Amino acid sequence: MNQMPPSSVPAVQAINLTKVYRVGHTDYPALRGINLKVQKGEFLSIMGQSGSGKSTLLNIIGALDRQTSGKIMIDGINLRKLSEDKLAILRNHKLGFIYQSFNLIQRLTAIENVEMPLISRSTPEKIRRSKSLKMLSAVGLATKTNKKPNELSGGEQQRVAIARALVTQPSLIIADEPTGNLDSKTTNEVVDQFIQVNKEFGTTILVVTHNAEIAERTQHIVTIKDGLIEKDQYLQKIDSYSMG
Amino acid sequence: MLFTDMFKLAYKALIDRKVRSVLTILGITVGSAIILALIASSSGLNAGITANIQKTGANILTIRNAGGFFAAGSTNTYLLSQIDVNYLKALPSVVHVYPYYSYGASIMNGGSTLSATVVGIDLSALPILYNGLTVAEGTIPLTGDTTSAAVGWSIANPVSGLPLGLHQMVSMTVSGVKSAKSGSVSYAVLASAILAQYGTALFSNIDDTIYISFQAATYLSKSPYFTGIYVVVDNTADVATVQNTITTYYGSNVRVISPGQILSSIQSITGQLTVFLGSIGAVSLFVATVGIVNTMYVSVMERTREIGILKAIGYRPKQIMGMFLSEAALTGVIGGFTGLLLGYALSFLMGGELAGSTIGGRGFGGPPSGGASASSGVVPVFSTGLIIFALVFPVILATAAGLYPAWRASRMNAVTALKYE
Repeated sequence: MNQMPPSSVPAVQAINLTKVYRVGHTDYPALRGINLKVQKGEFLSIMGQSGSGKSTLLNIIGALDRQTSGKIMIDGINLRKLSEDKLAILRNHKLGFIYQSFNLIQRLTAIENVEMPLISRSTPEKIRRSKSLKMLSAVGLATKTNKKPNELSGGEQQRVAIARALVTQPSLIIADEPTGNLDSKTTNEVVDQFIQVNKEFGTTILVVTHNAEIAERTQHIVTIKDGLIEKDQYLQKIDSYSMG
Repeated sequence: MLFTDMFKLAYKALIDRKVRSVLTILGITVGSAIILALIASSSGLNAGITANIQKTGANILTIRNAGGFFAAGSTNTYLLSQIDVNYLKALPSVVHVYPYYSYGASIMNGGSTLSATVVGIDLSALPILYNGLTVAEGTIPLTGDTTSAAVGWSIANPVSGLPLGLHQMVSMTVSGVKSAKSGSVSYAVLASAILAQYGTALFSNIDDTIYISFQAATYLSKSPYFTGIYVVVDNTADVATVQNTITTYYGSNVRVISPGQILSSIQSITGQLTVFLGSIGAVSLFVATVGIVNTMYVSVMERTREIGILKAIGYRPKQIMGMFLSEAALTGVIGGFTGLLLGYALSFLMGGELAGSTIGGRGFGGPPSGGASASSGVVPVFSTGLIIFALVFPVILATAAGLYPAWRASRMNAVTALKYE
């Protein structure tokens, strides 16, 4: 469809994006015209107070919710034009989600949780087993593949979630306050993990955070206030990513 | 999404809620077991009766006086005599005509009394009327022998009391003899033959019957009027014609009973029985289905967050619907299978009950015969069709029950589902 070379297509592009929630007869604007461009391979953080609209923006970028007006493009694909089924396929193939509360399926083991996105796309059992195992090893959980989430620590659960997000080799990872429930030591480990993934696979990573220390370890910080972008700045501390 | 993965996940989800799954499945198991047991035992009953009637051969008509057993309260006084025998013998296609006398009798055997039927008939007719009837011991008395009898198996081998040996004297009180003042007559004969076990045919239980010669019965009854006449037609195809001719000739004076006719009326009764009992089972299965809807609905609500996760990691609405439907279907598969096993066991219990209450050992001609009913149980019939039905129907029901909850799951909003606590 798009004749431009892949590198020139932004991973995420939002143009005049608005979202209005209507409760009864009252309108509550959550996003009031967001313009944002995220290049491929960026490690971006979105900051803002609660109620600023950052979660709404994240849900729209994540193809989980639809905008009221404006345009949202993922890898040059206009999401508005996609059916529910196509959106699901896009989430499965291009996106990986990581949440503050981990959102693992409690009755499944670590490896079964990691396998879930691959089951949806009919990957044969042997292949998805080995892929999932490889991914769990990469996040340092090779010995805990058969543990259920309630047998794992918070940091370990989040690493399972990271493995689940990565196993499909997505082009964009969306993390909604991924370290919100973790102590500072584990927080650093998780951020290291993100940096490593970003470097190694060139995966675009978009992290919503309250934590300024995390934001400072990213390349690109976007601050949202009252449904608008207040600040959009690139940091130049490239050398800090190499620590892995 | 692979079909096998869908069912593996469904299985894991059911295992995760063991108690609830077992209870839901139990509803299906019981409902389908009841239906199965009812259908299998009533078709077993039907088959049993059919076999009983067919044993005699469909080419024998029974002519009886219009009054009596088949038409209580009838004022018709026509009585069958030698004139009728002559008329019937002259009909085309008729091969044999056997008039008979039939009386109730009680046999004194040591301290206990045994109920039996005394039938007076040309004894050479026995192998013709009853296909495959054989003699266990002794020989059938010759025509004209007025002191000997062929004795049914259950008379010689009573459930209680002493067994009767060959050439022993059988003493009895014969009731319903109109020529006697009290209506009953004391009578004794020698058992010169003991018949092999046979069962019920031509609506009387052979095993409970004492066959005496026609001459002996004439002497006993002191009456020229018979209880009935058996008419043997040359082949089954002519039975209807002969029956029509006789019915036209006699009008309402006599009853002509053909095995085929009885068969169809019994089949219609057992058919109605099946429908009636089956609908009771259907109600219980319906209740079980509502149970599935309920369980599934609660399960969807409880797993709202899980559904949100599935949506986020890229499961399509149809896949989510499929996952929940396969849980419901799996419930039906397990319920259907266990229902089949339980229904199989249950049908044998029920078969015994039906046998006891419906056909018993009672023959149409004679008095109730005790003892014999215990041996005649109904063997439930599990046809291939019934087994397939038993396995497939619960799955269809359960899947249908899962439709709405599964649809709800597939339509959930991902964002709100993920926020669900």
